[in-house]
Amino acid sequence: MIQLSISFLLTVIVVLLVVLFLFTIYILVQRHREIRFTEVRDTFLQKYSQHWYNYLINDEIFSIVLVPRGRAQVAAIEIIFSSYLKNIINEKVEHKIKEFSNLYLKEFYEKDLSSKRWSIRMNALYRIADFQIEALLDTCQQFEKTKISEGEYFQLLKIYSIFQPELFIEKIKESSINYSESEYRRLFVLLEDDVFIRLFEDFDSWTKNIQFAAIDTAAVKRNMQYIDQLKQLLTHEIPEIQIRALKGLYEIGVIDEIDPYVPFVTSDMWEVRLMVAKIFNHVPLNYSYTYLEQLLQDENWWVRSQAAKTIVENREGIAKLQQFMESSNDQYAIEMAQETVVRKQGNK
Amino acid sequence: MKVFLDFCMWFFGGFILVYMLFVIVSYCAMFVIAMLVMRKRYKLDPSEYDDAHTDAFYSKPVSLLVPAYNEEIGVVDTVYSLLNLRYPQTEIIIINDGSTDSTLQTVIEHFRMKPVDKIVRTHIPTKQVKQIYESEIYKNCILVDKENGGKADALNVGINVSQYPYFCSIDGDSILDEKSLLRVMKPIILSDGEVIAAGGNIRIANGAKMQLGSVTETHLPNNYLVIMQIIEYARAFLMGRIALSKYNLVLIISGAFSVFSKEWAVEAGGYSTNIIGEDMELVVNIHRLIRKKKEKKRIEFVPDPVCWTEAPQTLGVLRNQRRRWHQGLFESLWKHKTMTLNPKYGLIGMLSFPYFWLVECLGPLVELGGYIYIVVAFFLGKIYYEVAIILLLLFVIYGVIFSIASILFEAWILNTYPRPRELLRMILLAFTEIFWYRPLTLFWRCEGLIRFVLRRSDWGNMKRVGIGEKEKSV
Repeated sequence: MIQLSISFLLTVIVVLLVVLFLFTIYILVQRHREIRFTEVRDTFLQKYSQHWYNYLINDEIFSIVLVPRGRAQVAAIEIIFSSYLKNIINEKVEHKIKEFSNLYLKEFYEKDLSSKRWSIRMNALYRIADFQIEALLDTCQQFEKTKISEGEYFQLLKIYSIFQPELFIEKIKESSINYSESEYRRLFVLLEDDVFIRLFEDFDSWTKNIQFAAIDTAAVKRNMQYIDQLKQLLTHEIPEIQIRALKGLYEIGVIDEIDPYVPFVTSDMWEVRLMVAKIFNHVPLNYSYTYLEQLLQDENWWVRSQAAKTIVENREGIAKLQQFMESSNDQYAIEMAQETVVRKQGNK
Repeated sequence: MKVFLDFCMWFFGGFILVYMLFVIVSYCAMFVIAMLVMRKRYKLDPSEYDDAHTDAFYSKPVSLLVPAYNEEIGVVDTVYSLLNLRYPQTEIIIINDGSTDSTLQTVIEHFRMKPVDKIVRTHIPTKQVKQIYESEIYKNCILVDKENGGKADALNVGINVSQYPYFCSIDGDSILDEKSLLRVMKPIILSDGEVIAAGGNIRIANGAKMQLGSVTETHLPNNYLVIMQIIEYARAFLMGRIALSKYNLVLIISGAFSVFSKEWAVEAGGYSTNIIGEDMELVVNIHRLIRKKKEKKRIEFVPDPVCWTEAPQTLGVLRNQRRRWHQGLFESLWKHKTMTLNPKYGLIGMLSFPYFWLVECLGPLVELGGYIYIVVAFFLGKIYYEVAIILLLLFVIYGVIFSIASILFEAWILNTYPRPRELLRMILLAFTEIFWYRPLTLFWRCEGLIRFVLRRSDWGNMKRVGIGEKEKSV
């Protein structure tokens, strides 16, 4: 038996070594091809970057030399386009990139979508969204019918949100996949205002992550249009939604009346009290001081700290805090006020 | 006497053979899982995610904790690498753990640190904080000067001072890739907080060119000892971390670069100060807490190479490191021994703990036994040759084949060591592993076991090679 085992093990080792040897050869060949690919790509970049600049920025006439021949040149164009899209906001440039991609890159990505490799399909979906290749919308819808991963479906949603917002809303309604908040934010941020507002219309029918992401996106868009939507959520039964709505209103930064916020000063949840202390940043101190003084003596450290910060940000803030330190008996609150004043004076 | 000797030889021979087969099968399984996981990501363009998440709107703020004990040379570079990070919202907290050199002065002068009054909330009890400073140049950079209490205590102070919901511990002699924090936070962000801790893939920086805290170019170093460690890191990465992470079985995420949810880490009691492997201890404590609270939370390992660290270049330093690592591992496993095969802890108790006990912790004893067996069999004569040869062949599979496979797979997937000569050099060196490197490390790890049994612990606080060594090699 042992004899057999030795020969068996030897065979296993030899077979494995041969496999590894072949794998080494494969890697070396692959490396060589990659080097060639990079060379072609870099040559194209070197040779035509200026042409691209002239075409995209200086409005020079389109030259046929810019049309890619082969994958390496497509990769070079991807680098050029991505850097323009990332670094400058210019509708004209975006339009030219879109036009070019729809004409000359479409076929490459169409082919990539039928690749067996997930990563290649994903990269193609990224590009379709980035370069706005609307000509592939039908292909994308066909692609959706095949067996695709959650990641691919997310990219499809992103593409729909750009080209067909109606379809997008329909798709997220029927989708059983629950994406993360940060993913939904990435989708919502791209939506036009009218489509986005529609998300709030059936607010309660959405899943928790969509609700949270919608509130946070409304805040980041800093649009006055969303203030009413967020204010309505202040009476929502779920505390987390109340907190997020308060946070959103704080971030938009336009507080036209103090009354809706006053009840939150005595909320049972410290997070709510913290947010209201933040919101008072956008309210003149003579209206908010009474409440802020109350919050400065809160049992929670974060609330006290925020109340002190909010007061000190105001022009009369330091004087108010000093006055408070003289009259108060609350040692914790005095310490907090003191630290905040010292900090503020130090910064000056 | 002869009968007894025969029995011993057959018994141990059989035992070691079965053990080796078990280990080889487990490694194979983990390698296959790692291959499947990594294969999917091959050629995926990561910049799409990176670009989107450099916006604070999609990410969460992180406090970066840098414990420093006598790191006057390395600490400035580390802080620069943190300042270079592409991440929207961070604060850097350098904790001077009562250094006896000029670490404190160096940091104060270099970053124009100014003393500030700051109330610190004591989430975790620690040694006394002497003074907190804030940089005049970088507003998000804080220095905490405290009494010496060890690395764990320094990290706990950092947690207390930090203001963000996640913290990241970084060794004072590590250099980070600019996208490392983005990548390591990725599972946390994408899971909406279901992942509560994540660790990154650690790479060896020897032979790399660095400029103001960034790795600009990598070369395979000339030191064979370092190359062997590079191979070893690749193996650990492919035959362990990825597969364990897939099934939420990770017990170790390297302290050199890992992110934790502050809430969970504080609730788990922070870093333990009375144990060598404080990073493993925290991970195990968090696993316990997850089970206790019956929550669906995960700890993940991120395969992207994110953190560069200096590998020991001399046998003496390497011996110290390995002894310490192994003693730390044994200590943690022993402390939580009741979790082993305990169904209350789910897969962690039923799979992870037995795996760490059998393969990682006691493995060196059996393997070293195997080496001794081969030598003894050689002297005892013919009848044991065959068992010895089989053992040797298994060592070849275990040592040589697995190492080469790891090098090649890593080179293929992560595009490391792009020069063919470097790749071939590593493969050739892997053939020699079982003859010198493996026995040496086994011996040191066994030493660690013995030291644990004898309760010897004389390493003190955070003794590391430091960037001083690194500068010599670069």
